Amino acid sequence: MNVTIKVNGEVHCASVAPETTLLSLLRDNFNLTGAKLGCDVGDCGACTVIVDGMPVNSCLMLAGQADGREVLTVEGLAAPDRLHPIQKAFEDHAALQCGFCGPAVILSAKALLDENPAPTLQEIRDALAGNLCRCTGYTKMIEAIQDAAAVLRGETADGPRTGVSHD
Amino acid sequence: MTDKSKVAEKTKEIAVNLLRGAGEDLRLPAAAPAVTYPLETLVPQVRQQTPAVGQRVTRPDGRLHGLGQTKYIDDLSFPGMLYAKIKRAGIASARIKRIDTRAAEAMPGVMAVLTGREIPVNSFGPSLQDQPVLADERVFHAGDGVAAVAAVTEQIALEALERIQVEYELLPAVFDPLTALQDDAPRVHPPKSNIYATKTIRKGDLEKGFAASDRIFEGRFRTQMVEHASLEPHAAIAQWDPNGRVTLWSTLGRITLGRVDIARTLKLAVNRVRIIATIVGGNFGGKNEITQEPVLALLSKKTGRPVKGVFTRGEGFVATTTRHPFVMEYKTGVTKDGRILARKVRLVLDGGAYCSWSETTLGKAAILSAGPYRIDNLLVEAFVVYTNKTMTGAMRGFGAPQVCFAYESHMDDMASALGLDPLDIRLLNVFDEGSLSPTGQVLQSVVARQSLLQAADRFGWREARP
Amino acid sequence: MKRRGRGIACMWYPIGFTVSANPSAATVKVNEDGTATVLTGTVETGQGSLTVLGQIAAEELGVATDDVHVVSADTDVTPMDTGAIASRTTYVTGNAVKLAAEKAKAILFEAAAPMLGVRPEQLEAKDRTIRVKGFPQRNLPIGEVANHAQAVKGEPAIGSASWNPPTLAMDPDTGQGKPFSTYVYATQIAEVEVDDETGDVEVIRIVAAHDCGTAINPMLVEGQIEGGISMGVGFALQEEMLFDAAGRQINPNLTNYIMPTSLDMPRIEVDIIDNYDPTGPFGAKGVGEPTSVPTAAAILNAIHDAVGVRITSLPATAEKVLAAIRAKSAHERIAVR
Repeated sequence: MNVTIKVNGEVHCASVAPETTLLSLLRDNFNLTGAKLGCDVGDCGACTVIVDGMPVNSCLMLAGQADGREVLTVEGLAAPDRLHPIQKAFEDHAALQCGFCGPAVILSAKALLDENPAPTLQEIRDALAGNLCRCTGYTKMIEAIQDAAAVLRGETADGPRTGVSHD
Repeated sequence: MTDKSKVAEKTKEIAVNLLRGAGEDLRLPAAAPAVTYPLETLVPQVRQQTPAVGQRVTRPDGRLHGLGQTKYIDDLSFPGMLYAKIKRAGIASARIKRIDTRAAEAMPGVMAVLTGREIPVNSFGPSLQDQPVLADERVFHAGDGVAAVAAVTEQIALEALERIQVEYELLPAVFDPLTALQDDAPRVHPPKSNIYATKTIRKGDLEKGFAASDRIFEGRFRTQMVEHASLEPHAAIAQWDPNGRVTLWSTLGRITLGRVDIARTLKLAVNRVRIIATIVGGNFGGKNEITQEPVLALLSKKTGRPVKGVFTRGEGFVATTTRHPFVMEYKTGVTKDGRILARKVRLVLDGGAYCSWSETTLGKAAILSAGPYRIDNLLVEAFVVYTNKTMTGAMRGFGAPQVCFAYESHMDDMASALGLDPLDIRLLNVFDEGSLSPTGQVLQSVVARQSLLQAADRFGWREARP
Repeated sequence: MKRRGRGIACMWYPIGFTVSANPSAATVKVNEDGTATVLTGTVETGQGSLTVLGQIAAEELGVATDDVHVVSADTDVTPMDTGAIASRTTYVTGNAVKLAAEKAKAILFEAAAPMLGVRPEQLEAKDRTIRVKGFPQRNLPIGEVANHAQAVKGEPAIGSASWNPPTLAMDPDTGQGKPFSTYVYATQIAEVEVDDETGDVEVIRIVAAHDCGTAINPMLVEGQIEGGISMGVGFALQEEMLFDAAGRQINPNLTNYIMPTSLDMPRIEVDIIDNYDPTGPFGAKGVGEPTSVPTAAAILNAIHDAVGVRITSLPATAEKVLAAIRAKSAHERIAVR
């Protein structure tokens, strides 16, 4: 079957078997390997992408279900001259270690901040609840998201806050 | 005499012109979306030094991770690449009577099938080489691989596994480590005893120490089997060159040992094996030995094409190493003030189906099991036993989290019974600079006391409780 | 009713393999402009070891971290390394990198000495220069020296070295010996809240005071502590591989193998203890595994403090905690009667 989707702002087509997942379409057909295969059944969240503004486990969505929709992957966040503030904050805080869950977490964060520019600590935890990470303990990710939120609200262009305890 | 080539050319020309529509001379390629990302070249500043040690330096690989540009093994693909899958036994203890791969081999899209008897040297392991690459005559745990398939798609490979028929003769199995310790338990690797390694640490005079103690406490503790569950599944790609050199892109954490293991199992010279493991998505000890690499190498050799194998999440649980479950018994003699005079420890490690990193775990756990405390009279007896369960191997801590759970719970129980503050009983007994370890080593760079005081201070331990 | 409790756990952990040789080798090459490349056989699995090794080389060569590029994990290209295991990379591979950088630096000193009119022993490498100790005004840019060494003297500044921790075998009967060159120490204190009607345990806060010798990169040390604690929370309260009577796993998936999510993490306060181990590179030891060692013990001790029950098997699931609480109150009711 033919699938037409807008990926990171560009319209692309592909011809795939009906059982192809959106994850497979992105990785195998479009070579966008940021979304990862961690479990293939929607448990780990490493395949998270944003479809029509909503964070989605792309391993649970069929390519056909994404037909005609807009998809944002991690590859669509940075501009040629700068990182997205979430990416910059993650880098400054060393929020990623092995990096495998990284793109998915960054997109979950983006979806959250698009909807809620000033989330509480609990709201950030809730937004990441579907993304498993084995390396970092989520702590620096949460700090980075708080910093990125401040930057996106225009409150500060400064670097990361230091220290690790916070409320 | 007509010139045949000119006739053929003319035919092609006419056909293309018919097929080509108007304005189609320049077409955009049906390519994958382009990815743009910022490129930053850092120019070194002359005469400007940032001292490097102690700095909160950002990681160069962090940049790639955040952009989604890090290429893990599953992100790599090569022209003509095949996909491999391994059939898992699903039975804990059995003899393999017959493997019939003909139906799988006959499937369209299946390019090669492999069984254990085709492995040149079918055994490996970091200390005891008791683990097969693919089970040949015996299955020792339910996750043992019994056959492998390389096919043009993963789906076909998985379907082909279903068509491989294996006939098993069920054998007795043992699952509990304390049962496995008994003389009359079924032998996992007959004729060897189930106890495959022991460790003893002996210091001072235990009986004298207990005799001098005001109180003697006993405690028994158990921990569970745990999986590393790194987000990236085990993955590898094998490819040969015409000179008989095999390259393996792999998630392997120990490439020096891995290279030797692959050379050994495939009977190759070491410099005919190249392992590239530049990017791994988490290890924690679970990727410290070869798993499917020799299988992929042989499938690649058979087919003449690169072969990729990515473990499913389920395989990560059933077919890779795990953390040793421990059964721990502690007996400690103390003065009424809480000073430890004697300690006896008995550890039984559930060693799974294969040795893997069990000897290391046993040794470390035995040494650490007394805790960071000054104890003059000590006996530690530790055993690791085979069971017909998933092999236990290296996992973050090598037995330390298990024994720490035991010795620190035990310490609090003693504090509670003696009416002592948990912090104080530890301060009374903890190592200092120059203290002797359980193995008689003079310890240097010791800050255990400082760690207790600093943590207690930060926590507000001494403050009045609400 | 929710009850709060607190628990301490103190631990020690060794760096490197038990007795057996576990060497690491490294090569450091200084380029024509004074930047450098490090070759190491270690495997970066996410802990940030390549960054740390780059910092060690940079410190030794007197250049900035950004000047050092680290190449790793290719058996055709990089020298042997026993592996990123047993928390040994900063200590063992770090020492190898430092020694290799020293050798490359010695070649630079030999080349610079006549240019600066001194003996090589009088030189030091700092601020991207090779300069005279005590009189830094007399110096040359490191790039100029490196280029001179290679292109004029014909001796490129390349150093290769290996290092192995010194140990002593353990006696087979008594275990006495020196199995490791060094150890690290840590204490974690946990505060939990236990719901005595459901057995649910919430970890509110963990204070972690960890020794790693010199912290080459404190941000990465914090990351290891936070990650280690998350594994410790899972070990204490959630994770368990279950087998049926036939020895097959019942929950080989992430739906039923429960692991910590962002919702399970406590507030973490990190204290890196001030320490220096002269046997490690710039005083550093290691931190990768120790971080997950005391967590479960601290949490279980906190549960004991909160509700007076001693759970002696992990994981301390809500079912286990609740059953223990009920058993205790039943016992107390009997005792009262």
